[in-house]
Amino acid sequence: MFQNRAEALALALPAAIFAAAVFLVPVVILLSDGFRTSGGGWTISAYTDFFSNSLNQAVFLRTLKLGALVTIASAVIGYAAAFAIVNLEPGMKGKMTGLVVLPLMISPVARTYAWIVILGRTGIVNEAFQALGITEAPLRILFSETAIFIGLLQLFLPLMIISLISALENMPKDAVPAARVLGANWFQVFWKVILPLTREGLVVGGTLVFTGCLTAYITPAILGGSKVLMLETLLYQQVSVSNNFVSASVIAFILIVMSFAANILLKRVATARNKRRKAA
Amino acid sequence: MTIRSLFIPLILFLVITFLIGPFLIIVAASFSAGETLAFPPQGFSLRWIGKVFTVESFRASFGMSLFLAVGGTAAALVLGIPASYALSRYKLPGAEIVRTIVSAPIIVPGIIVGLALLRYIVVPFQVGITPALFLAHTALVLPYAVRVVSASLDNLRSDIEEAAVLLGSSRLGAFFRVVMPNIRGGILSAFILGFVTSFNQVPVSLFLSGPGVRTLPVDMIAYMEIVFDPSVAALSSLLAFLSIGIVFLAERFLGFSRYV
Repeated sequence: MFQNRAEALALALPAAIFAAAVFLVPVVILLSDGFRTSGGGWTISAYTDFFSNSLNQAVFLRTLKLGALVTIASAVIGYAAAFAIVNLEPGMKGKMTGLVVLPLMISPVARTYAWIVILGRTGIVNEAFQALGITEAPLRILFSETAIFIGLLQLFLPLMIISLISALENMPKDAVPAARVLGANWFQVFWKVILPLTREGLVVGGTLVFTGCLTAYITPAILGGSKVLMLETLLYQQVSVSNNFVSASVIAFILIVMSFAANILLKRVATARNKRRKAA
Repeated sequence: MTIRSLFIPLILFLVITFLIGPFLIIVAASFSAGETLAFPPQGFSLRWIGKVFTVESFRASFGMSLFLAVGGTAAALVLGIPASYALSRYKLPGAEIVRTIVSAPIIVPGIIVGLALLRYIVVPFQVGITPALFLAHTALVLPYAVRVVSASLDNLRSDIEEAAVLLGSSRLGAFFRVVMPNIRGGILSAFILGFVTSFNQVPVSLFLSGPGVRTLPVDMIAYMEIVFDPSVAALSSLLAFLSIGIVFLAERFLGFSRYV
């Protein structure tokens, strides 16, 4: 540990000043805009206006709903997938984990674009449904909540699986067999043994997935179109179509509050885990 | 055969299909000979792969994205390496504040960063779109640079450079001759992570576009809203293989995942 304070500051300040000037100050001004009156005072009327508009309410609730649904679905699928991967032999385990991580390296634009080919009017799903006689005319799957849900789930599921794999691997090896021997059925094993022991991994994965959904732009923009909006696409529309910067500031504030809340939760869980590790 | 021995392959098959399948479809669609995007592809040809290289806006925006990814990441490292060093080796007053400020751009949604820059830097100070994009991408990559470089500094025992200083080396000399060679892997990993993050980034760049000045992913979104041919699929496949290739090589030669 070096003690020279001036040297330390000279090394650290350029980065801090840069981040503050380019990022922190503009973002803080942007956020405060939503609380200003034209006379220079402070008000929350922009927020009451925003939430009294039924379209905005619908977008806000849709964002929460899709975030929650994707998080729950990714947890359910994630447990099954992570459990399956953890029980593979070591070589296979590495390969499967690699395949789960692989999509994270591909551009989200490309990953989302694929769903147009699959879900579009002449996409695979519609062609198959019509060939099988399930539907007469092509279904409208694109530009719907369903399409956004599928796109977001595919985008963020890997984050949940990875969190759960490491949680399951840190679980005592004999916990599940012990519960089985003592007569617990699989439902009880999951609910009473696996879930409590992997709760932290679930929270970490869940936070990543939820904030990811909240702040995703590409997926709702491509798969939701201009009608089925989420908060991010609404913000974009408010700026580029309506030139409504006050409303944009309100949405920005809501998004930031929600992602900060999720991140604080994540940090809490992480420190609780570190403390327990140190104690053990 | 127990339920479990059936369950594991079935679950894995379904999940991997869901995660990788769409990408394989994109790759297949990019070899189509047909006029519109479709799967199964109509015939086989390389025409759309070839077309990608002739679309003028793709060439321009690819150049822009490459410049931002290389330049922005390099700038983030120039700022981030000294900051990480100060955070890891010095008793820095306000260390937590510095750490929070430099890593904040990761928590705030990109679209907000882009909008704030546009309204309070680009417009009032008459900054051009290209420099603004450069600033935005540097700020975006900075948290990753600091995190990865800090991690590799923390893994390096600090008594070697203290020894070098005691033996008469200057602090700067000790850094370049003792510390740098030891954290080279971490710096390269930070560069690759920053490059990929910057290159794939959309929300930050959305509002920062002008006539003929756009990043590649933003350009791709604009293109696919107008034209429904397989060229975006072809471009997506090319980019995906490029980034998978980079990460694969990085893992092979650097042990990338140790740092990230």
